[in-house]
Amino acid sequence: MKKQYAFLVDTERCIGCFTCAMACRNYYHQVEGVVWRQVYPLSEEIYPHRERAFLSLACNHCENPACLNVCPVEAYTKREEDGVVVHHQEKCIGCGNCIRSCPYGAPKYNPVEKRAEKCSLCHERLDAGLNPACVQACPTDALQLIDLAEFERTNEVQYPAGYPRMEELNPSTRFVLPKTPKMVRR
Amino acid sequence: MTAKKCTFSRRRFLQGAAAAGAAAMLPCSLLVPGKAEAAVFSEGDYQTFRNACPRNCYDTCSIKTYVRDGVVRFIEGAPESTFTDGGLCVKGYAYTRRPYSPDRVKYPMVQDGRRSGKWRRVSWDEALDMIAKKMLKLKEEDGSLLGLGMTKYSGNFGITNYGVEGMMSSLGYTTRFVGTPCWPAGIDAQNYDMGNMWCNDPEDMVKAKYVIVWGANPAWCSVHSMKYIMEAKRRGAKVVVVDPVFTQTAAKGDVYWQPKTASDGALALGMARHILDKGLVDEDFVRNYGLGFDEFADYLRNNVTVEWAAEQSGIPVKDIMEVAEEFATADPATIWIGYGMQRHTNGGASVRSIDALVAMTGNVGKEGGGARYGHLQTWGFNYHALIQKQPEGSKGFVGGAAKGEFDFTSGSGASYTDRTVNINKTAQAILDTTDPDIRMLWVSCKNPFAQDFDRPKLEKAFDKLEMVVTVDQFFNETVANSDIVLPVTTLFEEWTVNVSYWHYWLSVNEQAIKPMFETKSNIEIAAALSKKMNELAPGSCTFPQEIDTKEWMEKEFNQSIYDMFAINDWTDLRNGPAKARLKSSAAWSDHKFATPSGKYEFKSELCAQNGHKALPEFKAGRERYDKFRLLTPHTKFGLHSQFVNLDWMHEYDKEPYIYMHPKAAAEKGIGDLDMVRVFNKVGEQKARVKLTDNVAEDCLLMYEAWFGRGNAYNVQNLVDDESADMGAFKAGAPGVAIHDQFANVERA
Repeated sequence: MKKQYAFLVDTERCIGCFTCAMACRNYYHQVEGVVWRQVYPLSEEIYPHRERAFLSLACNHCENPACLNVCPVEAYTKREEDGVVVHHQEKCIGCGNCIRSCPYGAPKYNPVEKRAEKCSLCHERLDAGLNPACVQACPTDALQLIDLAEFERTNEVQYPAGYPRMEELNPSTRFVLPKTPKMVRR
Repeated sequence: MTAKKCTFSRRRFLQGAAAAGAAAMLPCSLLVPGKAEAAVFSEGDYQTFRNACPRNCYDTCSIKTYVRDGVVRFIEGAPESTFTDGGLCVKGYAYTRRPYSPDRVKYPMVQDGRRSGKWRRVSWDEALDMIAKKMLKLKEEDGSLLGLGMTKYSGNFGITNYGVEGMMSSLGYTTRFVGTPCWPAGIDAQNYDMGNMWCNDPEDMVKAKYVIVWGANPAWCSVHSMKYIMEAKRRGAKVVVVDPVFTQTAAKGDVYWQPKTASDGALALGMARHILDKGLVDEDFVRNYGLGFDEFADYLRNNVTVEWAAEQSGIPVKDIMEVAEEFATADPATIWIGYGMQRHTNGGASVRSIDALVAMTGNVGKEGGGARYGHLQTWGFNYHALIQKQPEGSKGFVGGAAKGEFDFTSGSGASYTDRTVNINKTAQAILDTTDPDIRMLWVSCKNPFAQDFDRPKLEKAFDKLEMVVTVDQFFNETVANSDIVLPVTTLFEEWTVNVSYWHYWLSVNEQAIKPMFETKSNIEIAAALSKKMNELAPGSCTFPQEIDTKEWMEKEFNQSIYDMFAINDWTDLRNGPAKARLKSSAAWSDHKFATPSGKYEFKSELCAQNGHKALPEFKAGRERYDKFRLLTPHTKFGLHSQFVNLDWMHEYDKEPYIYMHPKAAAEKGIGDLDMVRVFNKVGEQKARVKLTDNVAEDCLLMYEAWFGRGNAYNVQNLVDDESADMGAFKAGAPGVAIHDQFANVERA
């Protein structure tokens, strides 16, 4: 397998603190309403306590990205060296095809530029030997950067409950499922 | 322009404004780029500065700031600090937006009519002229400056910000709001038991074999501490979380206990009794380093049973026994005592019970153990900005006055003192204080309308004041109740220095950018006021009239700080934060306690002399006065009223909610996300409801915050100023029973 960088979201460690999301905004200054990384609380059907387990999600940098496949102007490329899906905004014509076709909602419409944009996996930081801003920020190492080619599977899942199963795209993000403590209530 | 430069486009917005001065004058809206793309990262493209988060938070993060063209581009946690470890928190990362927020107070402004919203811009000279003339008038009419009150607390813990107190002293003897809404009952409790409040290095929690997090929520309020708890767990420690709310921290533990609110003392004593019965007491510790353990044991045998504790707390007997035995046999074992559990009318007594539980198992003074609450071990600065002399001939208060918990001054032989009133009864103090009345109020580093209790009464109290001057960064509700607002610098715009009351790191805060608009730091404001006062009445203010914030920051350092942190000079901190050299990561590792007996005092005569029980006896909580208990703890998106108002934060936290148990809601015909009205004897507050069993059936939970942008949400509409049992001994005034509040709810 070729090198494929991916986010590992360990929901057992995740405290839903939104630090990753704000670290992204701190680094990229997205315009109002544009969110590259969001922290979603799991519904109570999946985790039995409201807003106590989360999925931190950004672009999945899929093996076979829908955004890249539907783009009429080749504004998307997938990096040979590490599988990062890059959006080249200078080529983007703002047609919205990528936004409509990504089942994970990663590309967003920038109303100021009138073009799309999405998580870059901080590829320029990777090139400088640094972690993505969100990964560096995570206080509990719940968000990690992994290479699927080398990653040894243990208890990770690709499609946790509530997350769209899109085998054709083969999204790269992997998840560790949350646990609940023993509850002693009055 | 090279191809590489093109990818810089997210920050191209300032290419035309290379000069820092020009950048600083740009309207804030221009400081948001139209485009966000991956950025080339090369540290050499930036100037880097050292900053430190000065908010009232356990973590007091060390920040590395990246500046280009005089503009803060992004920040990150200092990699040198093992505590911060290269990261910040959701609030910290929002800082990049803070100096450039379009909602900032940019200029001195005068409001024609409080709460009228009719603000007009004035010059610094005009604003200070109005203020100085009023001060001189007070002095002339009252014969002293006691009619001038100052309320300041924890909005900025940068050491130089004690210059606000210094400015007041340099004007004369004034009225000070002393005490703390935060942690005073627990401070007193730990002082009775151990002679000081002193906690282990949080980083040594990884060594603990058993961790009880009791009434603290580090997952929200100390995110960097969570990695140590998680690492301890990974190494086999059991983590028990005790909280009336199923918090995010509780969700990460092995065991969650939801006791009845304010039953913590009973629960701890029940555990203590079981440990006694099982013969698991650390005899070496209680005999050699403890005082009064036999009396405590007698108290337990005669007054406490596990069954009684179970009844008081709602935690079953078998669970109390199990955790007590596990805690007593794990070595080391630790309890993190949160500030939440002492905000009760029995809070100090409860903390003493938990301290005793930790001590009787020999875990006080042990690495990886400890009754962790907080510390001020690294706060040995010169307090140069704080210590100022009153003008010759100043008249002041005669009689006993209290000192606040961050007052490091030694007693003076002056015949006059400042007049002190209880910060936790701000409204009542303004209404009741006479001879002379508090006629003018100076507010800085504080948002009383978001923090002080009984907001409806506070509005009445402010209406009694003849002039209110507020120094702030944003147009918050306190500013709305003021006559004059003075714009103050953010951490990026001033020099200062910061330490923590939890970890042991020291960070310098450099001026990374020039002050935006017409902002001044608190000490610069003091100097400007001094100049004006002396213009109008020579000799009326002793504060220096010209200051350099960097020089003043330097004046806070001394040899003992250098020795403690193993640095030669404060400038060494520009290479990164430094950690105190500790002979042990454990507090009280030599078992020499600072109590009158030099021992751990299970029985404290001092405590008895101050009106409490000598032993950590059970004390019942406040009586219920309405249907539901109302809890108003911190939100993860803000620190008290700070951060929540920033547009960046608003992306992730759009509106406030009330959290309620589904069963209780069903009884009231309330559905998820309905708009409800919470009301009690103090006032009312509307918000949307979220139904969740994270809270008990008889509980309502509202996170404390100030939203701004026309949203008047304020939990202080529902919280009265009832005092906690302790706090007066060390903090100057009793704490406040923030979590002993009750209310009812209905569909709005």
